[in-house]
Order: sequence, then C-alpha cells, then structure tokens
Amino acid sequence: MGDAFELLGIDPAFELDLGAVERRHRDLSRALHPDRFAGRPPTERRQALSKAIEVNDAWRTVRDPVRRAEALLARLGLSSAEGQGPEPATAPELLMDLLELREQLGEARRERDAAAVEKLRRDVLGRQARVEQNLAQSFSHALRSAPTDELRDALLGQLGELRYYRKFIDDACVIEDEIL
Amino acid sequence: MLLDIFDPKAPPQPIGIDLGTTHSTVACVRDGRPMPLVTCDGTPLLPSVVHYGDHGNVVVGTAAKAYATRCPSRTIASAKRFMGRGADDAETGRLGAYRFVAPATAEDAKIVRFDVGATFVTPVEVSAEILKSLRQSAVDQLHSVGGAVITVPAYFDDAQRQATKDAGRLAGLSVLRLLNEPTAAALAYGLESRENGLFAVYDLGGGTFDITILVLDDGVFQVRSTGGDSALGGDDMDRLLAEAMLGTMDCDAPEYQTPEIVSIALGAARQVKHSLTEAREVAVELPRRGGDTAEFSISRERFDQMIEPLLARTGRACRRALRDAAVDASELSGVILVGGSTRVPRVRAYVRELFGREPLGDIDPDLVVAYGAALQADLLARSSDDVLLLDVLPLSLGVETMGGAVDKILPRNTTIPVGAKSVFTTYADNQTGFDIHVVQGERELASDCRSLARFTLRGIPPMAAGMARLEVSFHVDENNLLQVKAKELATGIEQTVEVKPSYGLSDEQIEDMLIDAIDHGDEDFEARRLVEARVEASRMMLATEKALAVDADLLDQAEHQRVTGVLDRLRVALSEPANASRVQMLMGDLDEATHDWAGRRMNRAIQVAIAGKRVRDVEVEVADAAGVDAHLEAHGAKPPGGE
Repeated sequence: MGDAFELLGIDPAFELDLGAVERRHRDLSRALHPDRFAGRPPTERRQALSKAIEVNDAWRTVRDPVRRAEALLARLGLSSAEGQGPEPATAPELLMDLLELREQLGEARRERDAAAVEKLRRDVLGRQARVEQNLAQSFSHALRSAPTDELRDALLGQLGELRYYRKFIDDACVIEDEIL
Repeated sequence: MLLDIFDPKAPPQPIGIDLGTTHSTVACVRDGRPMPLVTCDGTPLLPSVVHYGDHGNVVVGTAAKAYATRCPSRTIASAKRFMGRGADDAETGRLGAYRFVAPATAEDAKIVRFDVGATFVTPVEVSAEILKSLRQSAVDQLHSVGGAVITVPAYFDDAQRQATKDAGRLAGLSVLRLLNEPTAAALAYGLESRENGLFAVYDLGGGTFDITILVLDDGVFQVRSTGGDSALGGDDMDRLLAEAMLGTMDCDAPEYQTPEIVSIALGAARQVKHSLTEAREVAVELPRRGGDTAEFSISRERFDQMIEPLLARTGRACRRALRDAAVDASELSGVILVGGSTRVPRVRAYVRELFGREPLGDIDPDLVVAYGAALQADLLARSSDDVLLLDVLPLSLGVETMGGAVDKILPRNTTIPVGAKSVFTTYADNQTGFDIHVVQGERELASDCRSLARFTLRGIPPMAAGMARLEVSFHVDENNLLQVKAKELATGIEQTVEVKPSYGLSDEQIEDMLIDAIDHGDEDFEARRLVEARVEASRMMLATEKALAVDADLLDQAEHQRVTGVLDRLRVALSEPANASRVQMLMGDLDEATHDWAGRRMNRAIQVAIAGKRVRDVEVEVADAAGVDAHLEAHGAKPPGGE
C-alpha cells in the first residue's frame, strides 16, 4: 500500500493545487464509492469499501497541512510524530508570542467577548499562512535533494510552529461555540 | 388512460422511504422522475402514528390518530424521537402521554419500551409497523418491490441509525442504504435544477433538526459539514403551547396531567400551531378541570416569542456548520427548506435573516426527502455512476482513556467511508482481553459524550505487560455505521471483537422478534427469504453481466468459463421454483468465481481515474481493446502493479 500521494496519484509536494486534488479524489470516489458496488458480490463490496476508505484517508491527509507535512517527512525518512525522536528547541520569541496570545484568548473567554476571540483567530490564521509558505519552500528543497541537518531542523521547527497555531485555532473555535 | 402493464419478468422496483417523526412517505422513480405512492390513508403522507388495540391488533396512520385522545398511552406518535435511546434518556421525561416500562436490569435499560396495555413494544417495533404499512402500499401499487433506501437525520448517531436499519429488517424490507435527509433533499433539488454551487439544507422536522452545507458539482453532491440537534423539532413547539394550555385547563399540577389530559393539550396545540400559519390570532375552547370549558387564545406574535429560543438553537448549529465548512453565508447559491415545521412563518423569516436570502421551497418540503430517497434507490439499483453522494461523519468518534477523557480518533465532518487506526497496549502480564469504550460527540469527557458501544478484544497472544501492540482499526461505512477490527502487530494475530452496543437491540433480540412474527402468522419466513435472495441474486447477475461487457479482457479463459458457468446456473435457479438456500449458495459461488477478477477491475478503475478519465468514457474503448497493457499504454497511464 502506497502513501497518501501515491494513492491519489499525485506528485508529493507541500504546495498543491487543492482544487485539482479534490477533483482527483472525486474521480477516484466515483470509481470506488460503495454505492457503485451495491449490487456486487460481498467480497467485491468489501474490497471496494476498503479501497474507498484508503482513498478518503489519503485525501484527509493531503488536504490538512499538518498531516500533509507529516506524510512528506515520512517520505523523507524523518520522524515527525510529537514526542518521538529529537526535536529542535522551540524559538523563545515564538514561545513568548504564543504565551501572549494564550493570555489574550483566556481574557476574551472570561469576558465572553466573541469578537475578540474572532480577531485572535484571524491573527493566528495569518501566522499559520506564513509558516505554511515557509514549509512549502523548505519541502521544495528537501524533496529535490537529500536534506541537510539544518534543513531537517528547519522543517521540524516549522511543523512544530504549525501545530501550535492549529491547536490555538481549534481551541478558539471551541471557545467561540461556548460564548455564542 | 394508460394502463400499467404488469410484467412478471420485470425487475423489482426500488423504493425510497422518508421515515419521519410526524409523517412518513414512500416514493419511487417513474420515467426518471420521483413520484409519491399512495399510502393506506389514501394520501402520500402517512401519519407516523401506531395504535395498539386490546386484542393485539395494530392500526397505523390516520385511523390510529383517532385513538390518540381516548387511549393515549397505547397510541404512539413520534417513535422516531425514541429510536436508539435508552430507558433513562431525557426524552422519556419530557411532556408526553406515554407509559414507559421501568427497566429491571442494565440490559433492559438499553432500550426504551412503551407499555401499550396488552404488551410492551420498543420504538424499533413501532417504526417497523409504519414501514410494514408503507411496504404493503408499495407492493399493492408496484407489484414487485426491490430494495429500499430509508432516510435518517444527518445528525443521527450510530445507535439511532442501527435502530432504523433494524426496523427496516423487521418490516421485511431489503435496506439498500441509509441516506441522510438533507442529502436526500439536495439530491432531489440538484437533479431537478442541475444548478452547481454551495447549498445549505435547513431541515426542521417534527423531532429533529439538521443543517447541512454541501457543494453540488456536476452530479457530485459533496457534504462539507453537518450539524443539528436530534431532539429539536415541531414537537417542541407543540409542547410549549401545550404547557400554556394546561394552565388554562387548570391542570398545572403534575397530578392532573394524566395521559388523556396531556393528549388533549398536545392535540389542541398542534391544531393551533397549524392555524397560526394563516391566521394572526387563534382561539380554541379547552375543557377545564371542574367540568366547564375555557377559551385559550394566542397571537402569532406571542407564538413567535415562545419559539424564539428553539430557533436560536438552530441558529447556533447553523453558524457552527458554516464555520466547519469554512463557508460564509454570502457564498451560498441557495438555502433549501425541508420539513413541515418550516411552514411556520417565523421559521421562514428566521432562515431568511440568518442566511441573508430567500429560501427555496419549490419542491414540497414534506415530499422532497422521500423523492431523494427514491432517486438514490433507483441509482443504486442501476449501479449508476451519474451521481456521487459524499457524506460525512456527523459526530466525532473517540475512545475513552484511563482518566475518563476522550481520545479523538475521527473528527466530525470527515468524508465517509473512512477509517482510522489506533495502537493500544496491555497493562498486565499475559493479558488476553482488552476493553475499548467508543463514544460519539465533541466534549472532552467521555461521560459527556454519547456512548456507542464497548468492544472487547479477545485472543491477544500472552505477552509481558506493555509489550503487545494492538492496532485497532475503526471503519465507518457509507451508512455511517461503525465496525471495529483489531490485530496484534508483533505476532500479526487478529483478535475477535465482541460488540456490546450501549443502546438498542442485539442481533439475537431482532432474530427473536422475526421468529415471533412468523409464529403469529405475520410472514411466511421462507417465502420472504426467497424473495430477498432473488432480489439480491438478480442485482448480482446484472452487475456481473455489465462487468463482462466491459472488463472481460481481464479474465483468462478458465476464469471466464467459471463465471459464465455460475451465471447460467443462477439463471436456471431463478427461473424455476427454487429455495432460498440454493440461491444463496450459488451467489456464494459467484462471489468466489469473481473475486480475483474484481481486484483487477478495481485496479483498472483506479488507474483510469488517475489518468483523468471517467470510467464510462473508457467503457466503450475497452470493449474494442487488444488487452489491458496495450490499452493502458495508449492512454498514458501506469500499468497496475508495475513501475
């Protein structure tokens, strides 16, 4: 079984035309969706279901920047799971920023200020977009030729930063739900 | 007048069923268009009401409704609100006229039971009576009924869906698929209008609310997000009115709220609600405790005020669904209204305010879901690839951890079918069993989520504590039903998985009910088995013949002969009086004979999809192709398995 990129038949990269990948996902779904196998023998239905699940999982991986980065790191033979393997220390400036943002989020929650939470979320979405651009560049280098230790550290650091932003945005959404 | 010629060799007609809280409908597709069938009431909408008589007789529909005031505890309406719920669910405590059976054991508490006098019935059995009636109506009009697609609210959890499937089975239906109501509505609209774009479906029924955001794109209906409340609907509006009325009737105190009194209040409330659609002010006479009557009057303004909190709940779910879909209301091409409760003027106004546009209601909101179900049943029966329905998981799926928190395995709004793997390990030496508690919901604590089932893995090879690596695979299929498999990674040994659902009936209980029905002469079990087997066999034969027409080149001569041999034997078996077991055995033979070929066909389909073609475009070419590799080379696709 290939990885997500092979399953979808696309070239591995961080920067992707998600619209094109979505169309590929749909084309594959047309061929494999269980509804198409409704009248077929049970073993065939099970095979199709299994394959359809793999394809949906591949789409889920490729479409989410964090999972996409993890899949690419796996291709490069670099472990990226949280808590496994040596990770570069998080830059102090980043930690300070995150602490500040968390404090502001906490205050907005206490004041039940949905507008403030929304603003913070958009701020972090902007930061997330920037680190994604960095990741795109780093991966572009790494996938072309064997990554140096420096590049490897950069990649892991950027992924770590992306994870922080993702967690922040998820938490902000939960808080917004609470307030509204 | 065109006479419907009955052709005994015609394939059985697939049907679509909207099993609604207040009304149920059955529809089919005729000449490419959906149309409703007439129910035992003589109309397309059958009230979802079942009355249990003194002598075990069952009445369904309007006739059953007539008993509501006289024998309220034996006349069950809105059984849908109790599907998949346990005996201690909050729903059983809300204002209503039913008598519930107090559970004696924990096992009993897994399902609600109504005390209907002569017997106890579960919501599954009540729903089965409605489905039986609809099935009979279909048989009367179509003569030969095939598989059925039954709709469920998108927000229904696993237990509620399983209960619906069980009801279908008890009613003698071959359930092709469970389809989400908003998706069904979108299908009906989409196939009608052929418009592409982003749509929201606001579905407010008698007992459930669903909001679904989908994208329609050339025959693909892809759900982006779904949300809702499976305990919010028109019934709650009735309850608010009824509570006010009980005040007028001088029956505020609980001891005066007998099933008969409550039933009168609910009945009057429903009427008032309907009248307020046209009138700005309504007055009714209600019996008052003490013997005389009192007038209850209410203005539309006052009613709107009363239901505002309910509408606000729908608004919250809508905003969250839009956020989950990363869509702004302004990007929508349309908002589709579904469900009778959307006829309430304030609801339409609220939806207009919420989405900033006039909602669509061209197709009758009471029939649109059944139409969608019929259309899908038809598509499935024809194995058509014109349309693709991509639905999502409505609630996050998680596993309870040691501390009572939830470890989320699959987030809500993931496209289904979908799977995920998690690795667990043992905590004691030589531990051979392992328990997993699966829950559904968004909260952090397992106790705040909905318990789905406890899975016990057995057959773990004995190892030191912490050494075993148990890879548990969670698969959610296209019906949004969960399956669990487990394998110990170091040894590769697969565990058996015992499932204990937290709510609902076990397979044994359903089997017992089916046998019970036979004992009471309801069904001829063998005859029904045979009909089911014939329907399945015909579909399998049709599918195999279609595949032979296109992918015969993927079979070698011996395989080809084997397949055609089984097909011939099946054809013979179906044309003469056969028994179900023989037909099933032959279907097993066909399954085996086509197994490897199926794998090759799937690989070809994948390669074709990756090459950017539609399977159908290629069908014509393959029919003339010289061979697999030559064909694939000609289209620039990589040959399967090669590199």
